[in-house]
Amino acid sequence: MNNSIRTNAESTWCPGCNNFILLHAVQKVIEKQIESGKRKEDFGIVCGIGCHGKIFDYLNLPGINTLHGRTAPTCLGMKLAKPDLNVIGFSGDGDAYAEGIEHLIQMARYNSDFKYIIHNNQVFALTLGQPTPTTELGYIDKTNPDGVAISPLNPVKLMLVMGASFVARTCCETEQIKYVLEEALKHKGFAYIEVLQPCLIFHKNEDYKKRFYNLQKTEHNKTNFEEAMARADEFDYSSKDSKIPVGIFYQKERKTFEELKLNMQIAINSEK
Amino acid sequence: MRYDILIGGEAGQGPNIIANLISIGLIENGFFVFASREYESRVRGGHNFNIVTFSEEPLFSNSKSIDILVALDKNTEKIHKEDLKNNGIILEGSHNNMFYIGCLFKILGFDFNLLDSELRKINDYSENIEEAKRGYDSKNTEFNLKSAKSENKISLMNGNVAISEGAIKSGVEFYYSYPMTPATGVLTELAQRQKEEKHKTIELDGEIACINAAIGSAIVGAKSMVGSSGGGFDLMTEALSLTGMAEVPLVIYLSQRPGPSTGLATYTGQGDLNMALHAGHGEFVRIVIAPGDAKEAIERTTQIFYFTQKYTIPGILISDKHLSESHYSFTEKPQITISEKSVKWPARFNSYESDENKIATENINIIKKNVENRINKSKKLSEEIENFKPFEIYGNKDSRNLIIGWGSTKGVILDIIKKVDCKFLQISYLEPFSKKIQEEIKKAEKTLIVENNATSPLSSLIAEKTGFLIKNENKILKYDGRPFIFEQLLEEVEKRIKSTKEIEK
Repeated sequence: MNNSIRTNAESTWCPGCNNFILLHAVQKVIEKQIESGKRKEDFGIVCGIGCHGKIFDYLNLPGINTLHGRTAPTCLGMKLAKPDLNVIGFSGDGDAYAEGIEHLIQMARYNSDFKYIIHNNQVFALTLGQPTPTTELGYIDKTNPDGVAISPLNPVKLMLVMGASFVARTCCETEQIKYVLEEALKHKGFAYIEVLQPCLIFHKNEDYKKRFYNLQKTEHNKTNFEEAMARADEFDYSSKDSKIPVGIFYQKERKTFEELKLNMQIAINSEK
Repeated sequence: MRYDILIGGEAGQGPNIIANLISIGLIENGFFVFASREYESRVRGGHNFNIVTFSEEPLFSNSKSIDILVALDKNTEKIHKEDLKNNGIILEGSHNNMFYIGCLFKILGFDFNLLDSELRKINDYSENIEEAKRGYDSKNTEFNLKSAKSENKISLMNGNVAISEGAIKSGVEFYYSYPMTPATGVLTELAQRQKEEKHKTIELDGEIACINAAIGSAIVGAKSMVGSSGGGFDLMTEALSLTGMAEVPLVIYLSQRPGPSTGLATYTGQGDLNMALHAGHGEFVRIVIAPGDAKEAIERTTQIFYFTQKYTIPGILISDKHLSESHYSFTEKPQITISEKSVKWPARFNSYESDENKIATENINIIKKNVENRINKSKKLSEEIENFKPFEIYGNKDSRNLIIGWGSTKGVILDIIKKVDCKFLQISYLEPFSKKIQEEIKKAEKTLIVENNATSPLSSLIAEKTGFLIKNENKILKYDGRPFIFEQLLEEVEKRIKSTKEIEK
């Protein structure tokens, strides 16, 4: 591995894909950390299968491009065996909210100290457009000619209810992703970051841009659970006109899975 | 001389505790013990029993006829009385298990002080000791036992503890598991010992989470292991395939119980050999090892860690409920194989076909080379296993009669070949399959196979690897969830060996 965290791999994302913005932001954050003394091997990346997973090839960092839906437990296993490693997991909405959602739920509860970025394009893009659990009502594809009839999941609410210690959503915009990822890396514990980036191919007419507002530019108190739940309720992943809050919904540190599991003394006297 | 003690009662009445204490009493007095248990899938009630068989020389199976019957409830007496020998002793009444353990110590002529010191290891021992003493004083010594007091201390261990011991000796760092009988004993044993040793046991939200977390630990350089029974193993097979592609060393412990599906949760069987050999999509190299007793389980566990690390492949260690949960006694020291770690961080791994930087590729030349690199691992692996006794011949090596078996049937076969003109070929490495096995089979005139299943997958494997077909009438198969009992197998083998001489092809 050479010193750059970038690779020469040919990009196979579609021209103009939001994933380029996400990749760029992640590169910027990690490069900044490396400039200030961190080494490449201090980072470990894990990706699943889907469009998001291609980021593994565009980041010259150690780690694994694992199975569909299994990013989260893989991150946990790495973190347990190497607690000082900065582990960043990447998943799509299929990878995190469909196959493997049980892991997402448990990770919030476990509070394993890794950062989990969900590229939510609200569709199974790489398999050519089938709905995921966060696809909007009425979405039509070849497998759902009459349109999606099941209401979408609200993963931000799910993460809050399951006790995630860091819950954020961003729009697909470099500075916004950089800010949240840097805050997440400073956070001790599991950090859930959803990047909302409707697929350009299968959600052509989606325009969230006018609806986003930044929670950190409001009076939002990110240590208040009820406030976080109220903000999470504002967007249901289906409506066409509601505001869409982005930024850090909730943050409250507690002991991590690794602290509890690797040091039995702490486990016995653990307080939440 | 073999003696059998059967202790039966409801779940919760503690037949297990009596069996464990009397087993300790026996080995401390210089006897070899084999103790198995049969229990139902329930927490209280029902009918559970343990059989403790002992002798002055090593033995590895239980018998049908009982010398002492300890009936903790009426049901036990009803069910097992017909197996009691004519001069057999029955202990029954309304006492608790502590009273009867006292009785047993006295009947066998053992010193009460030994029982006293064992009982002191259990919480709230004073009442237990009083009750055991009452039992001890209520009986006379009925047996005049002479043990060949061996110089070496006799170890007593069940298969799950032995596998845990082997894993610790191999330097296991993480054992990930979701409880499933009969594999749970390894999770329990390793959990109890994690404060003194260097490993951690981690229970996650299912077998899929467990194996993927184990892969996460393995890629940063930790020696990792997972364990389950058939159903849990099924859930892990996609990740097993990933270890084949990404070349991640991982030990998977598979303790069989009868299936399909939930099957018989607390009983024994050998129905999962084909699954161990073939599970997982795509073509990749694996190692599959089945130890046959507790001492061998320690040794084979250290070997599977060695091979999985050296060849960066998955390894499946097969046991079953009979091996996992039965107590074996032995005096020889197990031979430990030391394994070096092969994965060094930082490194990249991929579930896709990938180039030298582990970037996904669909390049025709790289794909072909990758496939060959992965598959060709089997060449050296097949050669190297020959240094680790991949199979063993027991008994009269000149005998023309051969019994073939694998896994937990080893014990009962070893016991019966003392009574019948037969040698025993135990196959411990099922994959790779030793090329020398063919010669051994060719030498025999009559070949029998013994398996705890209904379709004899070992016969199919032998046919595939050697071209040798075992006749259906020479397959001794048991598929009722119970292990082979000494007299039963002896009778089945004698029936076939006495029959007219045939040449098999």
